[in-house]
Amino acid sequence: MSGRPLRQEDGESAALRHKEELSRRIKEQKVVVDELSNLKKNRKVYKQQPNSNIFFLADRTEMLSQCKNTLDELKKAHQEMENSEKAKIKK
Amino acid sequence: MEAPGGGASPLSPALVGRLRREHEKVVTGCQEKIQHWKKVESDYEALQERLQTLPDKLSYDVMVPFGPLAFMPGKLVHTNEITVLLGDNWFSKCSAKQAIELVEHRKKHVRKALDDLQKVMKNFESRAEFTEDLQKMSDAAGEYVDIREEMEDDSIETKGKYRTAHKPHSKPKVSNVFEVDFAANGNDTKPMGRFQSEEELWARLEELERQEEMLGELDRMPDAVGINGEDATSSEDEKEDKDTDVNGTCRAEDCITQGNFHKEFGNSDLFVGHLNGSTYYHSDDEDDRDVGDNSVPTIFFSHTVEPKRVRINTGKNTTLKFSEKKEEAKRKRRNSSGNGHAAPELPNIKTPADIYRVFVDVVNGEYVPRKSILKSRSRENSVCSDTSENSAAEFDDRRGVQRSISCDEATQSDNSEGILEEEEGEGKQQLPKKLPPSSGTTEAFSGTVIEKEPLSPSVMPHPVLAHPVLPTILERKSEELLSDAPEEPVKRISKFRAARMQQTQ
Repeated sequence: MSGRPLRQEDGESAALRHKEELSRRIKEQKVVVDELSNLKKNRKVYKQQPNSNIFFLADRTEMLSQCKNTLDELKKAHQEMENSEKAKIKK
Repeated sequence: MEAPGGGASPLSPALVGRLRREHEKVVTGCQEKIQHWKKVESDYEALQERLQTLPDKLSYDVMVPFGPLAFMPGKLVHTNEITVLLGDNWFSKCSAKQAIELVEHRKKHVRKALDDLQKVMKNFESRAEFTEDLQKMSDAAGEYVDIREEMEDDSIETKGKYRTAHKPHSKPKVSNVFEVDFAANGNDTKPMGRFQSEEELWARLEELERQEEMLGELDRMPDAVGINGEDATSSEDEKEDKDTDVNGTCRAEDCITQGNFHKEFGNSDLFVGHLNGSTYYHSDDEDDRDVGDNSVPTIFFSHTVEPKRVRINTGKNTTLKFSEKKEEAKRKRRNSSGNGHAAPELPNIKTPADIYRVFVDVVNGEYVPRKSILKSRSRENSVCSDTSENSAAEFDDRRGVQRSISCDEATQSDNSEGILEEEEGEGKQQLPKKLPPSSGTTEAFSGTVIEKEPLSPSVMPHPVLAHPVLPTILERKSEELLSDAPEEPVKRISKFRAARMQQTQ
């Protein structure tokens, strides 16, 4: 069910936009991780193929781990952004 | 999306701000595009990934979509058979690996597009930065100042000297030169003779027109005696002491055109010449022609009722008939280059001589026949002399008169310049003979100038035969000349006429 494509914004001038986008994705990932972790064991998880409407069967545990990783990465990025902004402000 | 070109020259804050906004627009547009292309690229990468593992299993459990929102569990079979869209609804069936290659190819294009967009974005970002700096500069007026220096002196631009355009309706320089020449010759230049300025010309024109109207009334008077001077409208006549009558008429007629060329026939010689020629240039219309007194260079003409017809002593030997003032005005305006050349635009001009007939200059209220450049004192070509229309009788009369005068004139022909100086006495009479034939053969000047000593009246008939080289002489003239030879005590025939006569004989 999860399969949101990962996107990264490189806009320098749109730092704020980037930050918002980042926070939004972090929320999504959190939801995904929670959902996956709260699934019953017999449930099938399907992953959507990007840019199409077809879903491929996927392993629940693998998917959970993948989503957690994604979440961690997003949080890291977010944290780095905040740190850089604070550093700029301090300067 | 190109922002408007650098408008840094007007350093107004508004324009600079606008420029900056345009730059930023471009930058944001580029960013959006870059985003889009990046998504596409990621999609392709995912697809590639999937394709690599697809053939590993025979079938996959999938959720098959029913429309946009419904799904159905199903199986994906034939995992190695991929149908690829090539574009334009063309598909290709290929294996997973081949599909992977295709995807790779497409990713290449996507990357290229991304790179271009990145470059553009970078470019416009730098431009935006520059305009920002420019704005800061304009804002901080105290620090940076645009140094401007107004160029008021245009002379620097042109390397050469300026060429000023001629004023409209300005006379060509030639005319001025001629005027000067006349003055240099010591002619009694009429005070009005030199209208250098355009305004004076126009004023003169108007005056001449008035006089012409006056003259037109005179022309309608019964012919002959009373009309003495009307015909011989030579401005020169005024100056001449001898031909007072002619002078009077000339004044009455008043050359309309201010002469570029005719100007200063103030010379007595010229005047005499004119008188000589005047006889020749009777208009066709004129019925009778009185030869005029021989004792005094007076020319009497009888005209037909011809409005605004004036006879003017144009050159030494010729008289022109002055026609409509409009023609004169035209002539004057155009500053006709050559009196010797036919003016095609004028009516009834078939020969150069006609020009003189048509165009006359008005000097001091009198009609002064134009002196063509060809007919300057220095050139006695008589090309421009006389019209072709003259009837035999007229010519004869003219010649008669001319001859009568020519004797007197011959002695006075000092002022004439140039070639035919010696011939003035004769030339004046000879020139009219040289007039282009009325029949229409326009050969005004044979091209041969023969210098002769003044012939005595008795000898006059002989020159007719003595100049074989002269080609064209009016036949009638020649005949008349011969016929008239015994009549006139002094009969001079122009060499041209003599030649013609001889030819005809």
